[in-house]
Amino acid sequence: MNGWCGRLLAVDLSSGKIWVESLKQELLQAYLGGRGLGVRLLRDSYHLDPFASEIPLVFAVGPLCGTPAPTAARLAVVSRSPLTGTIYDCSAGGRFAWRLKAAGFDAVRISGQSTSPKVLAITPQGGELLPATELWGQPIAETVQALSGRGSVAAIGPAGENRVLFGNIMMGEGNAVGRGGLGAVMGAKQLKAITVDGDRRYDVADRPRFDQARKDIMRLFRASPVIFGDLGIAEYGTPALVDLMAQRRMAPTENFRKTVFSRSDKYSGPAIRQAYQPKKDGCYGCPIQCKKSTREGVPLPEYETVSHFGALNGVDDLRSIVQSNTICNQMGMDTISAAVTLATWGELRGTFLRADELAPLLRDIAFRRGDGDLLDLGSARLAAQKGQPNLSMSVKGLELPAYDPRGAYGMALAYCTSNRGGCHLRAYPISHEILRKPVATDRFSFAGKARIIKIAEDTNATIDSLVACKFSFFGASLEEYGELLSATTGCEYDPQHLKSIGERIYLTERFYNQQNGFTAAADQLPERFFVEPGSSGEGIEVPPIDRQRFAEEMDKYYRMRGLTPEGRFADADFLERQP
Amino acid sequence: MKRQLEKYAGKLIADGGADAASMAILAKDDQILELGSPELLQLGRAVLERLNVVSLVIADPSLPLLDTLFGRLSPQASEIVPLDTETRTFLHDIPVVRRDQFSAEHPERLVELLGQRKGILVEGVGIMTTGSVTVELGYINYCSIYHALFIKILLDFLQGNPPTLNEIQSLLPLWHQLQVPIPERVDDLRGAGLGEHEDILHAMEIAGRRTVELHLVDSFFGNISCRVGSRQYISQTGASLDELSGCIDIVADDNSSTAGITASSELIAHRAIYQQTGAAAILHGHPKFSVILSLLCEETDCRIKDCWKECERVRSLCGTPIVAGEVGAGGIAKKVPPVIGETGTAIVYGHGVFATGSNDFVRPLRALIRLENDCRREYLRLLQGRVVDSSSSVLLAQKQV
Ligand SMILES: [Zn+2]
Repeated sequence: MNGWCGRLLAVDLSSGKIWVESLKQELLQAYLGGRGLGVRLLRDSYHLDPFASEIPLVFAVGPLCGTPAPTAARLAVVSRSPLTGTIYDCSAGGRFAWRLKAAGFDAVRISGQSTSPKVLAITPQGGELLPATELWGQPIAETVQALSGRGSVAAIGPAGENRVLFGNIMMGEGNAVGRGGLGAVMGAKQLKAITVDGDRRYDVADRPRFDQARKDIMRLFRASPVIFGDLGIAEYGTPALVDLMAQRRMAPTENFRKTVFSRSDKYSGPAIRQAYQPKKDGCYGCPIQCKKSTREGVPLPEYETVSHFGALNGVDDLRSIVQSNTICNQMGMDTISAAVTLATWGELRGTFLRADELAPLLRDIAFRRGDGDLLDLGSARLAAQKGQPNLSMSVKGLELPAYDPRGAYGMALAYCTSNRGGCHLRAYPISHEILRKPVATDRFSFAGKARIIKIAEDTNATIDSLVACKFSFFGASLEEYGELLSATTGCEYDPQHLKSIGERIYLTERFYNQQNGFTAAADQLPERFFVEPGSSGEGIEVPPIDRQRFAEEMDKYYRMRGLTPEGRFADADFLERQP
Repeated sequence: MKRQLEKYAGKLIADGGADAASMAILAKDDQILELGSPELLQLGRAVLERLNVVSLVIADPSLPLLDTLFGRLSPQASEIVPLDTETRTFLHDIPVVRRDQFSAEHPERLVELLGQRKGILVEGVGIMTTGSVTVELGYINYCSIYHALFIKILLDFLQGNPPTLNEIQSLLPLWHQLQVPIPERVDDLRGAGLGEHEDILHAMEIAGRRTVELHLVDSFFGNISCRVGSRQYISQTGASLDELSGCIDIVADDNSSTAGITASSELIAHRAIYQQTGAAAILHGHPKFSVILSLLCEETDCRIKDCWKECERVRSLCGTPIVAGEVGAGGIAKKVPPVIGETGTAIVYGHGVFATGSNDFVRPLRALIRLENDCRREYLRLLQGRVVDSSSSVLLAQKQV
């Protein structure tokens, strides 16, 4: 079998037992790996409480990992989110994924709860649990440093240990398994870190075909201005979007009360370049290298992070934005959720935080001290506890990233149809609504958007299962990645087939959520976006979203998904019909 | 969405060389919307229902290019490989389907192939393409395949088997067209200087639209820019040159803003041309006969295989230099600027033409027109040398009466 190892490492932290299970080929071919495989592996446990001892936390790589496929040295981590209550997956780069595959595993499934802090050390021989009492409480860099002899590291920081609901799992190279609080799930298990080392190499089934597909992809990257253009993400990282979002008047400002922040040039791509002369950095095996870090190797913030610690909190001080990012990385905490929660707090109090107030409060959140012991719950619970639930800018409890939905109607829909809550990456309509890839769509129109979102969700579920990076798709498409996959595995995968796999994954997630009590009522934007306009100007009108058109397009979406008008599955046996 | 269908049906006829009687265009919202010939729509519905895409375009070009292709293909051939580099960059190989491989009741083979590729060539039906995001994308893919097919066949007449009398006869409207030079309609661009902001946008819009109207580019490809002070106005990536309103980015030389991340993929090439030549305006199109002739190379014992990106030579066509280079950050930006200074025009192997001007778009547009007219004449001359019978020869030289 090319492409997969067919092996899963099972770990029970309660008993301390570790064993290897084999993964059936049919299952791997039907779910690929990453998100799809992880979601499938949760079929018997999706209903468990995210902090229940038995809930599994799955790390899964994909069939392209371990090959020279561009941007494919990634993995997905899957469990149920304590922040949203939905099924949850997040994709991350770094060497960890590649080493896990090199150790001979497609996935690791961790369940149970240890009675004392542990490190799971994985090698080709299997796994071993090591005591980690002295690492508990340590920030990420110190933890990674302490484990440096053991290969690649994935660890939680104080935020995950303290079950901050948006605690991350951090990869040793600085990549985050972010957003939904899977770090807290790991913390509840008292698992401080996982190390992995291995040296197994993989052949692809058809080398010439693989090389051709790889060349095609590289050519498309070079033809894509967003990727390799003079002003693209390889040069400036994702903060290249700061200026664009300002120009399009859709940069969320002061907790989404406005959509333009006049001082965003203080933390734009060019401003960061001038202040830090960053070096190019990035995921292992990625030719794009969109991550940027300081000369000393400290990761610099992504677009969502600069914009949300900046505009959303009314802060223009680049140093304090970078410092906030560093604290979140060190504490193992999601920057988007943290920044939105701070902005919610600002609006609740009537004054937004000053630049110098960000850092101490972020530390307090990670350690759950003072006000931090309320803010650690995320914006939805915070706003609800303060009696103003409408002030949380979130969907299904997941804080919205830095694309105002009033400025891109596909994005407005996609925040709501996403199975993990208000996330921009599930359908990534920014690609066509803003970046004109593969073609431009009218961002102020709902026409045709439901279908576009549905197809993109299917496509991206596949990408998350390969596991490849979304940014590759500013240039390439499933046509080329299908070729890579066919050449790697020796099984034929064309785009249509791959999208049907993505559709299966999407529907499975939605079914889990439905069984856990989610209804169409949860597929809704915060009220603000239907009643308050954005910041119009310079010839761009940013009205509130038309509630009726939004509802009509959601109705269409449910129909296209084969769901009832209430957004439900017509038959209760959906899962039984899936492989 | 209905409006989109109407718009692109119109464009198929005006720019895409399609014929109203033999085209269909369909889109999926929560139900299928459609426009076109009933027979093709029946087939189109059967295909679109089975695909996870937004749009489907089916059209048979009014020039019988498909019949010509199928007449020349070996019976075993299952695909063609585009020779022009833009299509090759985005579409890879293009599958072909024979008449006996499908029907409206059994479209499985079409569905299978369209599940793999953005477009296919179907005997007796035409070009079929899908769009994964919009109707427009289906149309863009159609234009790419039409362009690739046109270039492939006309180059084959020069390099492969010479055209038969039958082929010459069936393409008679094309030969007539080539006898009439493209008109130099540039006067309204004169004095449309590059001064005030509004004037610049206006001049770019006219020049862009004219380039499309004169068939010097398929509307979605090509790009246009001008340099004013230390800033560049440039068309956005994927912008239709005939619909540039709202699709022009302003990019500062010092990169003080990255809002131009949406600018054309050839921004890097345009910048390098401005730096190295002192030009003030650039127009880039894909005129068909300039592209075809650029692919003709007399070299016999050359070891380079991927000429379109690896050839280092500077060749010449009708007095204009030809260089090879990939789209975007690949090679055009390195290869074109050093050669374009002298003549103000440069051809990119198998791709298109860049032309510069010093104060407006008159000279770039005129340069594209003149070069294409020269190449059309040269093509006809070369083709005359290939045809074997005197009847073909007479038909090629005939002017329309
Ligand atoms: Zn071009």
